[in-house]
Amino acid sequence: MTYLYEQYDVQEKHPRLFAIRTEASTLIETLQEVTTHTEFVTLAQIACTDWIEEERFELTYLLTDRARSRNLMVKVPLPRTGGSLPSLAFRFPQAEVMERDLHEMYGIVFEGNTTLYDFVLEGWHDIPPMRREFDTLAYVREHYDFQRGRTDGKDVKVEQKRRREEAKKRKAEAQQQAQTPEGAPHGE
Amino acid sequence: MWYDIPLMLLMAYGFGFLYYGLYRNITARVHGRFGPSLAQSFWDSIKLLTKETSTSFGWVFAAGVVIMAAGAVMTVLFIPYFTDTERFAGLSRYGNLIVVLYFMVLGPLGNALGVGSSGNPFGAMGVTRGLTRMIGLEMPFYIALIGLMIAHRSADIATIMAQQQGTIDLVAHPLLFVAAFISFAGFLGKSPFDVVGAPPEVYSGPAVEFGGKFLGLALSQSAIFSFAKLLLMVDLFWGGAADLWELIAKTFVLFLAAVLLGNVYGRFTTAQSVDLLLKVPTLIALLGLLRV
Amino acid sequence: MSEYEQSGFVPYDPQAEQQSLEAETEGIRNTQTLIEKAIRWFHARSMFVVAYGTGCGAIEMPPVFTSRYDIERLGVVGVATPRQADILIVSGYASLKTLRRIIRTYEQMSEPKYVIALGSCTINGGMYWDSYNTIKRLEDYIGVDMYVAGCMPRPEAIIEGFVKLQAAIRDNTLRPGYVRYRENLAGYKANQTKVLGERIAPEYEENYAGMELS
Repeated sequence: MTYLYEQYDVQEKHPRLFAIRTEASTLIETLQEVTTHTEFVTLAQIACTDWIEEERFELTYLLTDRARSRNLMVKVPLPRTGGSLPSLAFRFPQAEVMERDLHEMYGIVFEGNTTLYDFVLEGWHDIPPMRREFDTLAYVREHYDFQRGRTDGKDVKVEQKRRREEAKKRKAEAQQQAQTPEGAPHGE
Repeated sequence: MWYDIPLMLLMAYGFGFLYYGLYRNITARVHGRFGPSLAQSFWDSIKLLTKETSTSFGWVFAAGVVIMAAGAVMTVLFIPYFTDTERFAGLSRYGNLIVVLYFMVLGPLGNALGVGSSGNPFGAMGVTRGLTRMIGLEMPFYIALIGLMIAHRSADIATIMAQQQGTIDLVAHPLLFVAAFISFAGFLGKSPFDVVGAPPEVYSGPAVEFGGKFLGLALSQSAIFSFAKLLLMVDLFWGGAADLWELIAKTFVLFLAAVLLGNVYGRFTTAQSVDLLLKVPTLIALLGLLRV
Repeated sequence: MSEYEQSGFVPYDPQAEQQSLEAETEGIRNTQTLIEKAIRWFHARSMFVVAYGTGCGAIEMPPVFTSRYDIERLGVVGVATPRQADILIVSGYASLKTLRRIIRTYEQMSEPKYVIALGSCTINGGMYWDSYNTIKRLEDYIGVDMYVAGCMPRPEAIIEGFVKLQAAIRDNTLRPGYVRYRENLAGYKANQTKVLGERIAPEYEENYAGMELS
């Protein structure tokens, strides 16, 4: 841990979660050093955040230690179009699948990874769908049909209120009926 | 009589399915639930026979199922039902125990031929497992039966039955019975030796491409075959049966023992089954052979 | 108008639809011979369900098929392959990848065959109504016979679905999905092609490593 504090600018987000930043050109070097000299030896996940306002992706390489109790995030910025990263599959076999997933969902190219083809989406012909400029709702409206005649696009709270009022009204009417019975009054 | 043979087949069919229904109910009670009705297996096989055939694999595939059914039917016909071999003797005067053992193996081999021709890899895996398992099952079974044949100086089932009127072979040759019973449970397709058609493992192995009519025929022949094996064990080790009620009682007790054994044990893999069968029951059978 | 209403649903006339449905089943009910009745009785009495859990609804199926709720007493058994099965249970959402396999499985089953669709995702998209990768209405793609609503439907609801399907088969009050599929095959295939592209079902021999990149 002290090695990390010496070499990098560590940000502690949480007692068990730390973050450092690096650049795409020095990524492999950084990861090699971190995994050999500190306790964070396992690559747990490669995640991507789409900062569309700042026109960049930010990849997070999540490393974890042997006891699986503390995590380290290595954050790498990447341009949204035209950026590419070297693949880590030579060092971490699990990175192959993670990079395949990111390529399908965000369109990030990892050089050296030979498995960048269809994963979850077979025959997808639109832009990578996890990018924030992809409008899911518009796509659904264009390609799928819903059931005809379903009218439950109603607001639930409004409906509940309306039904409660109706039930109250019915109850009041029933009580009135009971108090003033039709026909002859029974006794006093 | 001319009506012997059809009646024998009908009895085997009826009792086989009834016992299969009983097996499902007993297993259900062991699991703590109610099972289907007793006649459920009848309805299953009849429903299967009314389904349309969706695809065909050529005549070899159909021939495989037919050979399997033929093996089952011939096995039943060569085993006498009762001790007085006048009624319901079928063809048993024309063949002895060795012919019966031959027909018992013919069915699975025919099935292997048919299923192999379909080209489905799961089918090939299933039949490979089945035939490997059969190697293990046959060893103690044949040693036990050879012991019986030596003890009675004859290979004819009727003679073996007749010579058991004093003491039944269960008591006279207990080690042979134990070895044969373990194999017999495997032949019936009960745990722990039921790896062949295991649905979660090889998509029910040999039956993977059986739909509709093929599966109906396969289930029917399985029912007849089970009854044939029960009958063989009763005839060889329990002195046969004198009338119908005794036959039902004896086959049911033997069947119950095999089913309860099956419910207790988990499933062995093919290698484990053959490993066990070639060691423990074979040893027991050989010891029994010494005492003969 | 809410987002949902903007998605283009068309109000329909329930009375007209009910009348046309009744006219259809009336026609069917009158054409039963004794043999057909018997065959239908057998098909209701013994059902083989292909063991294929397509979506999250599959978590409610093990209790139904084992000791807890025990559907074997109704004659329903699970089998391993579609060739041996009568019933396909589509248990939940169907993504496009799964839909290809569902169609392949459905077409491999031999007739008569029935489909039970569990969950609200098969009825109208359910929880994933705004997802680009799931279908919203299963009856556009294969012939569905019984919907069981819920998210997930409890085992008691699934058993009630089975009982109703058995009664409908026995009394011949439904026009089975496979008949509709067979008669309107072109329409179903058009719907399938619209969402799945040209390659509707996986090929039998295919090297997935050689697939083209999208």
